[in-house]
Amino acid sequence: MKSSLPPKKNSTLFLDKQNWTDKNPFEEFKTLATPGLNLPMDQIVQDSEAIMDRIRWGYEKLLEEEAKELVWMVQYNTIIKAYEVAEKYIKEIDYTAEDIEDFCFALENTQRIPYLIPGPAGIYISALCNYAKEEEILLKLSELKTEINLVGFRLPRGKRLRVEGDTGDFTGIGLEGGELVVEGNAKNWTGAGMRGGKILIKKNIGLHTGEWMMGGEIYVGGRVRGLGNIVEGKVYERDKLVYPGKARYPNLYY
Amino acid sequence: MGMGTNGYQKQAMRIYRFISEHLYFNRPDMEVKGERFNSAILLSLLTGLKKGKELIIGEPGLGKTTSAEYVCSLLYQFPLGVIWGSEVSGHPEQTEEKIIGRPDLGKLNRGEEDVVWTNFSQVPVKIVDEINRLPETKQSMILDGVDRGNWEYLNEMIINDEYCLFATANYQDGGTNTIIAPLVDRFDVMVESRYPGPNLSFLIGKDKRKDHVLRHPKYESELYHILKSKIAYEKKVSKIEEVCNAYGDYIEEVLEVKSFQRQDRDQIRTEMEGLGLDLDASAFTRMLLAELSFCERYGQKRVVENCEEGCHYTGYLCHQIKNCASNRLPSSIKQYAQGLAWLLEDSEIDIEHIKAVLPYTLAHRIQWKDEILSQKERTKRDDPFAIFLAKEAVKAVSQRYGEQSDHLKDALAAGSKIFQGGDLEPLEGDHPIYAEVKKDIDTRKR
Repeated sequence: MKSSLPPKKNSTLFLDKQNWTDKNPFEEFKTLATPGLNLPMDQIVQDSEAIMDRIRWGYEKLLEEEAKELVWMVQYNTIIKAYEVAEKYIKEIDYTAEDIEDFCFALENTQRIPYLIPGPAGIYISALCNYAKEEEILLKLSELKTEINLVGFRLPRGKRLRVEGDTGDFTGIGLEGGELVVEGNAKNWTGAGMRGGKILIKKNIGLHTGEWMMGGEIYVGGRVRGLGNIVEGKVYERDKLVYPGKARYPNLYY
Repeated sequence: MGMGTNGYQKQAMRIYRFISEHLYFNRPDMEVKGERFNSAILLSLLTGLKKGKELIIGEPGLGKTTSAEYVCSLLYQFPLGVIWGSEVSGHPEQTEEKIIGRPDLGKLNRGEEDVVWTNFSQVPVKIVDEINRLPETKQSMILDGVDRGNWEYLNEMIINDEYCLFATANYQDGGTNTIIAPLVDRFDVMVESRYPGPNLSFLIGKDKRKDHVLRHPKYESELYHILKSKIAYEKKVSKIEEVCNAYGDYIEEVLEVKSFQRQDRDQIRTEMEGLGLDLDASAFTRMLLAELSFCERYGQKRVVENCEEGCHYTGYLCHQIKNCASNRLPSSIKQYAQGLAWLLEDSEIDIEHIKAVLPYTLAHRIQWKDEILSQKERTKRDDPFAIFLAKEAVKAVSQRYGEQSDHLKDALAAGSKIFQGGDLEPLEGDHPIYAEVKKDIDTRKR
């Protein structure tokens, strides 16, 4: 005994099914006023991409000239030379602090920047920060898997650079009066050779802190693994002045 | 804003409050537009009203089956005893004959084929208890019935015009299996029946059982008699309704809770269907669906294809999941958001309704990558892991939507104009949705 009859064909439903490919999937948005052919947003995106291309190109030129076969040794003369090369390319670009942030993100997140070499990248970013129009710059480095070295190199007076995340070696070396804040940890040789200004590391710091430091102040919210040979300046560990302080040997673990 | 003046929403809320205050002790665990609800009762109510399919998970003894039974009894006017007698329990020895129907042995002896349908296949409220204890081969047996309301046995078929499904599942242990992927996808929502806390739990233990208020031996007997009779299924349905209406009158008199007759439920569904999504709700949902299906390298997400490193879209959900969102997902989202908007007496579905129901429609459908699971497994949370991850995903997409909603809506508006022949270029953007809009427009142009 059949318990149900097949449903009757509904010709309207059948017609709808035939026409579904012509159905506008965006129909409910048709009442919204459509943007013009040339949206400010389009222009902004295009301009932004052009600037990023130039910044990227400058970095690639730096690697080409200074990191032969992708090897780059941290030495006084290589740092100075790399910074001069970076300056040369950066001075020609009209960029903003946001572009620097985008560049940091692009370093590990796109295939358009093929190589992230921490030293030259840090020099390049430092040059970008030093020559930016803005006085305050924020770098979001917490998402990067690699720690960037040489962040804040030669940060000049009047500039404030804040870094989210950790930094690598040689953070804030050669600081020239600027203020550098690192929300995470820094590694070795922080503040080496700095002439003035302020470095604030919110968590821990490594060895050779303030090596050949000639002025300025370093504040560390966590532990200082070891001090370098400091000429002049001050180092604080958790609000306590550790240099100049009671006699301490450089690089002692305590 | 108010909707109809028939008071159905207030009636539904009275049913919610009655269950919450007298039958199913609980703590509110979700908030929608300033109103606090318990997710298990709310979503079960919407499942019942919307003819949906709900998977209820939880530790043993925390009211998974009971909550569904109460909702079904009060929404569909079935005495509790009939609901109990219509449930299918998931155990490895379960058979088609116990779930769907069996041959009429008397007629078979005379050489005639006829089917004695089970209560489960005939009544509109279907509860499968511990569905994950059914072996996987048996789960597929009820796939078709669950999906379309068709129950077939010995070349006979009955079609349920109105039904809702509640399936319960304990967490994985030695006696449970996986619910097969095609069956999981057919559930509109997944919700946890939670521990109500030691103080409420103590009250449950202290008080007498209250579910006898939903029993009625006389009507239960009449219904059983109709269900096992040999009359045509369509005639049974109208007789069942008569008894159910009488039971509904009894409930109203004794408990002062008015339940819904068939025409009421049909009217509610018509009212719900009349609610549309506002532009934000639509754009947000499209954005989420794009993140759950897009793959720049391979055209779409596929569970057998791995994400490559260095993809531009690593910041989106597509990089965190393995599978592609099914076409049932947007249907579930819309149905439940519609139900919620109706219940709150709103005149259209807005983004808050979508965000409220979204985690429950997503939780059982997403397959997360192992690294995401290990990253987030130990995060402090209140929800079971799958629902927690779904809530986090909704939050992330919501944030992204907040940053670019105007641009996205402009992109969709431009898409509409281009689709209708307008001379515009599609808008650019970083999110996968912009690429998908372009693909749809290109398809149209060809």
